[in-house]
Amino acid sequence: MAKQAKATKSSGGDNFTRWLVIGMVTLVVASGAIFSVVGEKSKANESFAILSDFKAGPTVVSTVDDANGAGITFNNGAAKTVDIWEDPQCPVCNTFEQANGEFVEDLVRAKKAKVVYHVLSFLGNESVSAANAAYCAADEARYLDFHKAMYLVQPVLENSGFYSTENLIKIGSYAGLTSQSFIDCVTKGSKLDKVRAAYESMGKYNVQGTPTVFFNGKLWERKNNAFLLEEFAAAFEAS
Amino acid sequence: MNSLHKKYQPFITLLCRLLLGGVLLVAGGLKAFKPSEMAGAIAAYKILPANLSHLIGYALPWLEIALGILLIIGLTTRLAAVAGTAVMIIFIAAIISVWARGILIDCGCFGGGGEVDPSKAAEARRAYLMEILRDLGLALSGIYLYFFPYGRLSIEKPLQNIEEQ
Repeated sequence: MAKQAKATKSSGGDNFTRWLVIGMVTLVVASGAIFSVVGEKSKANESFAILSDFKAGPTVVSTVDDANGAGITFNNGAAKTVDIWEDPQCPVCNTFEQANGEFVEDLVRAKKAKVVYHVLSFLGNESVSAANAAYCAADEARYLDFHKAMYLVQPVLENSGFYSTENLIKIGSYAGLTSQSFIDCVTKGSKLDKVRAAYESMGKYNVQGTPTVFFNGKLWERKNNAFLLEEFAAAFEAS
Repeated sequence: MNSLHKKYQPFITLLCRLLLGGVLLVAGGLKAFKPSEMAGAIAAYKILPANLSHLIGYALPWLEIALGILLIIGLTTRLAAVAGTAVMIIFIAAIISVWARGILIDCGCFGGGGEVDPSKAAEARRAYLMEILRDLGLALSGIYLYFFPYGRLSIEKPLQNIEEQ
């Protein structure tokens, strides 16, 4: 053991090798990391390609109902009520969205029901950023479009850097949100108090996970995990 | 005992190098091309702020690959072993940290990662223990290499050996 230790110390050339290797390792790590960052950027651009033919609809005004867990509320006063609890990063919410999103959008646009979106953020920092951006979009009467575009590009992995300020603004731009006020709202996190209020209201309404739907305040007890449109529509009609 | 160790030491060193280097190389290689997955896996530990965990997610796999190659070919073994051991100790600390805080995640050691369904809590905890034991074994290999860096099939040779030849 002592012999080996001495051998290293006595060699002058070893010092050079050591620094050479440290330098090369640093180089490999740095270039690898840069390569990864660039790769991620281009992958993000690829997922934005889905939105290239996205058409934003007419604006729909919504209100934020502070008494009802800061829910984003459409058609206040309509006879039937649908409460939808979602987290922007939750993959199952995306399944729900792809199956029933259009149906709900029609309920809102055709004023068939009062629809309340509760944008939750229990899946981490990027859910908070995305939820904030959703409230910003609601301020500009474009919640529906933003929400739809956001789920279309939802990344497979949570909190992996996709819902950055930059990308959220970009999602907004596809959904017809190009105003400076929207950009400022996303950048500054102006709606974080609403985001927190929505999150904190989960307990009050006994919401255990997402997506959760209430028809007229009654929990929708779905029979399978595919969120079939027929089942959802039938439950709405029956409510 | 001592002479026995002396006889087999070059082989033990080789074994430790292949073990630690091999695991690092495989772990790094599996993660290097899925950086967003890695970034998400590190974020799930909830130790570092988001930006920093993404940055480390991009860099860590490459560091593992570099250290793995150095150990396998046997170049600056001692230095690479120290770095490899440090990495293992950080992994152990991170797993103990999530375990202690009751967070349930997949360690993302060989890719994957992220939170685990609460229904699989018992499995996740068993996995934590296995991961700690595995990383501890690898750290011990690294420590052995610090004291005996020269062995078989290695690029660098101790000067004394060269003189002896």
